[in-house]
Amino acid sequence: MSKRKLKDSPMPIGECISQVQTLLRERLCHQQLPQRPEGVDSQHKHLMELLKRTAVHGESNSVLIIGPRGTGKTQLLRCVLAELLAEEDVDKTLLQVHLNGLLQTDDRIALKEITRQLSLENVVGDQVFGSFAENLAFLLEALKKGDRSSSRPVLFILDEFDLFAHHKNQTLLYNLLDVSQSAQTPVAVVGLTCRLDVLELLEKRVKSRFSHRQIHLLPSLSFSQYLQAVQAQLHLPDTTFPDTTFCYDWNASLKALCEDKSVEAVLLRHFNSTKDFRSLHRLLMAILCRVSVNNPTIKPADLLDASRLLSADAMTNVLHGLSILELCLVIAMKHLNDIYDGEPFNLQMVYNEFKRFLQRKSNSLYNFELPVVMKAFEHLQQLEVVRPVDAAAAVAARAQREYQLVRLMLDHSQIMEALQKYPQCPTDVKQWAASAFG
Amino acid sequence: TPRHATPSIPSRSLPARQPGSALEEARARLHVSSVPESLPCREQEFQDIYNFVESKVMDGTGGCMYISGVPGTGKTATVHEVIRSLQRASDADDVPAFNFIEINGMKMTDPHQAYVQILQKLTGQKATPDHAAALLEKRFSHAGPKKESTVLLVDELDLLWTRKQNVMYNLFDWPTRRHGRLVVLTIANTMDLPERIMINRVASRLGLTRMSFQPYSFKQLQQIIMSRLNKVKAFEEDALQLVSRKVAALSGDARRCLDICRRATEICEHTSLDPGAPGLVGMSHVMQALDEMFSSAYVTAIRCASVQEQLFLRSVLMEFRRLGLEEATFQQVLVQHQALCRVEGLQPPSVSEALAACQRLGACRLLLLEPSRLGVLQRVRLNVSQDDVLYALKAE
Repeated sequence: MSKRKLKDSPMPIGECISQVQTLLRERLCHQQLPQRPEGVDSQHKHLMELLKRTAVHGESNSVLIIGPRGTGKTQLLRCVLAELLAEEDVDKTLLQVHLNGLLQTDDRIALKEITRQLSLENVVGDQVFGSFAENLAFLLEALKKGDRSSSRPVLFILDEFDLFAHHKNQTLLYNLLDVSQSAQTPVAVVGLTCRLDVLELLEKRVKSRFSHRQIHLLPSLSFSQYLQAVQAQLHLPDTTFPDTTFCYDWNASLKALCEDKSVEAVLLRHFNSTKDFRSLHRLLMAILCRVSVNNPTIKPADLLDASRLLSADAMTNVLHGLSILELCLVIAMKHLNDIYDGEPFNLQMVYNEFKRFLQRKSNSLYNFELPVVMKAFEHLQQLEVVRPVDAAAAVAARAQREYQLVRLMLDHSQIMEALQKYPQCPTDVKQWAASAFG
Repeated sequence: TPRHATPSIPSRSLPARQPGSALEEARARLHVSSVPESLPCREQEFQDIYNFVESKVMDGTGGCMYISGVPGTGKTATVHEVIRSLQRASDADDVPAFNFIEINGMKMTDPHQAYVQILQKLTGQKATPDHAAALLEKRFSHAGPKKESTVLLVDELDLLWTRKQNVMYNLFDWPTRRHGRLVVLTIANTMDLPERIMINRVASRLGLTRMSFQPYSFKQLQQIIMSRLNKVKAFEEDALQLVSRKVAALSGDARRCLDICRRATEICEHTSLDPGAPGLVGMSHVMQALDEMFSSAYVTAIRCASVQEQLFLRSVLMEFRRLGLEEATFQQVLVQHQALCRVEGLQPPSVSEALAACQRLGACRLLLLEPSRLGVLQRVRLNVSQDDVLYALKAE
């Protein structure tokens, strides 16, 4: 197939593949904006109208965009902003301030950032002068001097809004919302958060000043829409892609792929586990990594591999890397858990359980000294397969390591699954694991 | 360093567009910021505060007053109105001239900044908190020639609390000085604040002149909206009544009432068939606005969750019922979850996947979780009522 292609396409296959990779990687990893996000028309309209009224009429507003992670909150906002700024003289009037709760961890930093982004007069270069109190007074004074019809509206975007609610006294939120409720410079305060209970975090006086407009972004798409989204994400644009035959072949193979039953099953499993778009992008990215010159189209097997890679259990993988002794200790802990119904245990108990196994069932092949067992136990602790019940108290009481109480951080299903896949697992160990109560 | 910077926001090239239609006009009037000249339904409180401040200014003495009430009941607006009319009176020489200073506990980074702000507003001087306190002390305890009275409004008083309470002490002590001529009006939310957080000598200096603002009743809220609209015909009578009854039943917060009305005008504008003449805001629009602003999204969020997340919630409920407790470890829930998956004919998720689903539910606060370092040992609680979860899962 590639031979034929080489002959009549103007571009060599390698060139096409690298084009595909750049295009799709841009789309999946850099969250490139679509023209308009799908399925959120009413939310889009609400937000658009609101920001437009602030920009054009000088009306102050506040709004919260709430939705689980990966449902396109930032994307919606950015789309609306791009559309708004495309209108004439809006981009010259609207001032924007972007804040993020993860970066501006307290009001002092947030205030400097606001002053810097507004480039008020106490800013020289990128440096903001004055103390925290002076900065706040300066900003409030500046906002107070403006009025509805003549000063430029300011758009405050607070990403990770819930983190701002943890600041001391919620001073910043109070002041921003207070400006939005009084006859000062027109502002729009837009908060983005994934917490549904965010309003309960606000203090009463802050809550009263918030306008209680909430835009909920909840993923409501069905499986057929999900399939379409997958196809749309991997689709190549016919008009702009340089090699039309390759583009045509790619899109055709993509269509065939999405109709494949096994592919559908994998995607359904993925859809059932989460509707988050980011996790879909992760899956698609893992598939895209397998596309190369030797493998120019996506095969169902690629998808299966990628999905297996992503849904693998992390702890089972950790157990695969353990030595036989460590595995034996894990099994002994499982038995202790069964016998004593989840009570915490210490190294001595595990060691005794292990010794009982050695005496009754096994030859002396694994007859290790206590220090060796302790070393293995400590390794398990480092991997966080076991976890001290109360680490701080144990350190304070200077408990000896053999008698420190720990808990097993594994589910039984994980242990059994790991044993099945463990390379060359001795039969007696397997039998011991399967037997009830050691 | 910029020494004499003038704080200002740049001005726009084109002036903002003025409201065109009746609905836009109504919206501009209903915005919380457009405070009317005289507040309806607060005549009694207005008169009380007016008399208090007027008598103190006339006599050239000092005094304190404590004003309390839940947010959105018009405390600050009423005081501002009092000051406006007093200033008008002093312009007409009915009342001696006085200074008005306003500070707000929330607009300061530290309680001691109160001194700095008062001093700056009185004299324009800049000083450190300690120095400012000393200067103010001197100013209020010595007689000066032709000294004017000062009216000081302290908003959000509870934020001025410090461990030694010296800021509050000073604020309430200065009015008692013979040459102080200081009238302090303090505003806070809780009625029993002086008894709760102030030590005796502070509370006694605050005195017993107290006033509490009651939440608005539905009639008052209705009157407030009517007076704001001022003959602009945009609302049906019933719609107004519904809004005011709802808000009065919940909080009696006038801000909420105005915000809902504003949202209702927007909804009316969007849903009207004829964009030229959108008509009046009716019951349906108001209902929709009320729904948007008061309803919680938990039920919708559960309905929109993925299948595995819903199953996880259901297994949480099953485990709670089995244990008879409101709390379970992830491991216990997982057993139920895997069993439930087999019943439903789905492939059971791996522990990592189930943990991820649990974390997602925790991130949007449908569940309350311990730190995720605890892995399968972390305890899980519901943040919604069990009935809500059942209702959301059943109604499919």
